[in-house]
Amino acid sequence: MQHVMFFLFAIITLGAAIMVVTTRNLLRSALWLILVFFGIAGIFVLLNAEFLAVVQILVYVGAIATLIIFAVMLTRQVMDPKQPRFNDQARVVAGFATLLFVVLAVIVTRVAWPVAIGAAPVDAIQQLGMDFVGPYAVPFEVASVLLVVAMIGAIIIAREHE
Amino acid sequence: MDYIRDFFINFAHSWTTWISGGLPGWAVTVVNFLLGGLILVMMPVIATLALTWMERKVIGRIQNRLGPNRVGPWGIFQAIADAVKMLIKEDIIPDRADRPVFNLAPILIFVGAAMLWAVIPFGRRMIGQDLNIGALYVVAIGSITTVAVLMAGWASNNKFALIGAFRVVAQLLSYEIPMVLSIGVVVLVVGSMRMGTIVESQWVPFCLVLPVAFITYVLAAIAETGRAPFDLLEADSEIVAGYFVEYSGLKFGWFYIAEYGNLMAVSAITTTLFLGGWRGPFAGAAPVLGPLYFIIKTVLVIFVLMWIRGTLPRFRIDQMLAFAWKVLVPAALVNLLWVAAALKLPVPQAVQYAVMLVGNLAILGVTLTLLGQSAKQHAKRHGLAGA
Amino acid sequence: MTDTMTSALPFNDAIPGAVLETTPNGLVVAAEKLPELARHLRDQQGYDYLAMVTSVDWPQYLEVVYYLCGVAQPKPGLVLKVRLSDKANPVVPSVIDIWPGADFQEREVYDMMGIRFEGHPNLRRILLWEGFAGWPLRKDYRESYYEEDTKPLKSRHPDGSHLWAEDRVPWKDNVTYPVGVDPDLWVSPQVQYRRIMGVDQGGNGSSLNTERVLVNMGPQHPSTHGVFRMVLAIEGENVVGLEPEMGYLHRCHEKIGERNTYLMNIPFTDRLDYISSMSNNLGYVLAVEKLMGLQVPERADYIRVIMAEFTRIVSHFIAVGFLFNDLGAYFTPALYGVRERELILDLFEAASGSRMMCNYMRFGGVSADLPEGWIKRARETVWDRLPRVLGDFETLLSGNEIFLARAKGVGHLSAQDAVAYSMAGPMLRASGVPYDLRKAAPYSIYDRFDFDVCSRPEGDVWARFRVRMDEIYQSLRILKQALDGIPEGPILAGKKQYQMRVPAGEAYSRIEGPKGELGFFVVSDGKANPYRYHVRAPTFINLTSLEKMCIGHKIADSVVILGAIDIVLGEVDR
Repeated sequence: MQHVMFFLFAIITLGAAIMVVTTRNLLRSALWLILVFFGIAGIFVLLNAEFLAVVQILVYVGAIATLIIFAVMLTRQVMDPKQPRFNDQARVVAGFATLLFVVLAVIVTRVAWPVAIGAAPVDAIQQLGMDFVGPYAVPFEVASVLLVVAMIGAIIIAREHE
Repeated sequence: MDYIRDFFINFAHSWTTWISGGLPGWAVTVVNFLLGGLILVMMPVIATLALTWMERKVIGRIQNRLGPNRVGPWGIFQAIADAVKMLIKEDIIPDRADRPVFNLAPILIFVGAAMLWAVIPFGRRMIGQDLNIGALYVVAIGSITTVAVLMAGWASNNKFALIGAFRVVAQLLSYEIPMVLSIGVVVLVVGSMRMGTIVESQWVPFCLVLPVAFITYVLAAIAETGRAPFDLLEADSEIVAGYFVEYSGLKFGWFYIAEYGNLMAVSAITTTLFLGGWRGPFAGAAPVLGPLYFIIKTVLVIFVLMWIRGTLPRFRIDQMLAFAWKVLVPAALVNLLWVAAALKLPVPQAVQYAVMLVGNLAILGVTLTLLGQSAKQHAKRHGLAGA
Repeated sequence: MTDTMTSALPFNDAIPGAVLETTPNGLVVAAEKLPELARHLRDQQGYDYLAMVTSVDWPQYLEVVYYLCGVAQPKPGLVLKVRLSDKANPVVPSVIDIWPGADFQEREVYDMMGIRFEGHPNLRRILLWEGFAGWPLRKDYRESYYEEDTKPLKSRHPDGSHLWAEDRVPWKDNVTYPVGVDPDLWVSPQVQYRRIMGVDQGGNGSSLNTERVLVNMGPQHPSTHGVFRMVLAIEGENVVGLEPEMGYLHRCHEKIGERNTYLMNIPFTDRLDYISSMSNNLGYVLAVEKLMGLQVPERADYIRVIMAEFTRIVSHFIAVGFLFNDLGAYFTPALYGVRERELILDLFEAASGSRMMCNYMRFGGVSADLPEGWIKRARETVWDRLPRVLGDFETLLSGNEIFLARAKGVGHLSAQDAVAYSMAGPMLRASGVPYDLRKAAPYSIYDRFDFDVCSRPEGDVWARFRVRMDEIYQSLRILKQALDGIPEGPILAGKKQYQMRVPAGEAYSRIEGPKGELGFFVVSDGKANPYRYHVRAPTFINLTSLEKMCIGHKIADSVVILGAIDIVLGEVDR
């Protein structure tokens, strides 16, 4: 049962991901992206990580995908299907994408992932919270600072020039 | 007698036992899941039928009218007549609409409205699925609604719908933050995100302990459901109906059902988080009373929301966003810090609650004073000495 | 014409050769000197307000009529006339630079008479569509199924040939289109919105700028108060351009008025501003009475004032209630207003027999006396019910924070602009110009009553709301005095008659209608029906300033600003 569900979610995720990059209509690709996020959330649920699944939906679907759609809607010229599919940055991006894929593939295959023994804890959230302020306090804070910086930067860019 | 006392739960047990007699184990699970799903799907529909009638009656009374009184006694079948009308209407799809997206949006918005009901505790142990992240789940499901509204607004190929969709993004994203912050306060006090646990730990309703969180949540919830005075996404006097202006017939009906389903769900969540859910006099001794209390409290919240709709004009988009970011978010943040600090005090829980209440009242007072002053300044800017 | 005669004409010392002739009905002005004279009159002579622009098609020439008056210092009206003998190509210099309020009125004259206004930036048809051929108010225009100059009444055709007359006319349906217009292939020209879309400024090219979007609000829209269309150019939520489009409810009111007899026109005036039919009746009968020189019995005058003030209350209740509808209050204030309106309509019904289309006033009086007990019911309404309801309105609406936040500072119009744009009524007074025709140029018996002119300096939506509320209090004051002082006596001068002799001449009567200066311009050539009949519709002219008020505000505000003008499309489109 678990395996069936996993393959189902995997197919949904990968299929939707392919649609994201092949659909000509920008808004439709954004909607396919949402389906990708849902597929990933489903896989999280299968891994007994409900918290991550919900956060995945909340942050990726609720905020990031929404903002992408918003940006797409505001620039309607871009949505013209007659526009060329590639622009002059296509090669650079392809190079970086390949590099990223290689790095990820190496990491996935080379690192010895620790496998949890036994069932997942019932109330994993509390453990997660304790870990955030305990052993992982420094990365957590660094991520927060990064986000704050990004937010301030966004505000400065968006501010009207007087 | 015991059977009656815990009627719903015992009934569920008997049901499962009964069908297990003739069916294999996996089939029992499937049947029960299907039944549960059916109940979830039916909840928004039932809510719509009941609430449209109630809303028309309540607003009718507010406006010196009788409200519906022709179809059935007190017009109670009015909603059914409306539903029939909606079913037999022509289904129109605009010529240049993005058809798949256009058709998917009503389904998605209804799914969002139905899924909320999974975590609402109607009574003790009467809950679809007592998720350990229940409170967060409620917020996450809300984002599905956002996506559905965006899809509807864009796919309609209509400028009013597009403006409505723009407003939706600004409004829902802004009000999600005070909403999460006020739910966070409750979660902090309870120490769990389980809806059941949240209700069980309210020996005193949280609205009396955390009035700031309560008010913030209700205001944010009104905005999330897009009801007056925050109904900018479908502002009928400005952008006609906003994102669903091009929908007709049953597809419009899905939006309608989702709207009222969300209204009821949000009121139910307010009841759960702040009004003590199914708790009430003798509910401990006779759990069958629980659902009754729950529904009474929910309807009370709905009534207040209808009252607001019948009496207040609408905010403008900039005022509304300013209200979220400049009033609700700071108040909720300060409240969160205060409550977190109060929880660390080495005193009995009752004293902690008292400290929270004092802090909440202070935040409320300061917020209202600042609001009053800014209103006076606004008036002064336009050369007026107050109204 | 000798030199001495020329210099004896008024204003010719300042602008030599401007005034060609003085007539009892106004000064005849040379077309090419008009802007110069207009500027002189506005700046030096205190005629700062252009009340009306219209035109008459005389056999020898086309005549453009300007009615000026002073608002800053009230001055009696001054009529300027420009005569254009070239009927094939009549051209007048536009006065839009001097009085922006001439904008729509000049377009209307162009639309109806084909007189071109040189210098008008947007001279195109306003009430009729672009695919209309001809100038309908010219005397040589033959509409579909044209029969004869006036209605073919039985009295004029004793042989019965008035029956089925339209089947015998040579014109038949007479539908023609301008050259190059095919109605089946016709698409609304987009070029006309180049201005508000900023096409010519090239402001729409840069990719980082917000896209400028054209939004059609109306003709079917819940907040346009009828079939009115606002073409909005928006950037995000901000309005950057606006163009009102009207005429969807145009029903040739003035053309019909020329073919009806004088009496037959009264019920048609009911349909102008259908919220306040009594005021429309009053304005029209005053114009015709001016021509006939009729004296109205005192009791009839009192009844007219009572009806006009009740109408004002009705109109303002509706305006305030529906303003809140535009603000998004779910019908509640509107229905509270409508409830009071219904009670006043009961009074109208008792007196005139009809609730909305009252058709009550007659030349020289009113059509029927007040029924028994009417005064008592009216007294209860005025002394008891309305003050109480007004108190409710004040407590429920006036202090509402959301309303104050939405209304204050929105749609600002300065006093100077309000006068320049020919704003009238509550719109003008809310901009700090205390100009009320009941005080400035009293008509009927308004000089007998003691009341204040309500004015507010702010010039925003809130001030317009406040002025209307205050005017209801003042109307109640007038009503109290009128109901106390109403004498017994006849209600009609002379006896009732279908046909009256109206001597040749021109009359322009102005009354302070609920929505502003309601003017009726009637020209008689001594026949049974008016030679020319023009309505100066206050809300039509008030719409001129809509764009100025809306730019820089949000979409939601544009709806509220429109609501605060309080338009009624029956009057705008006529």
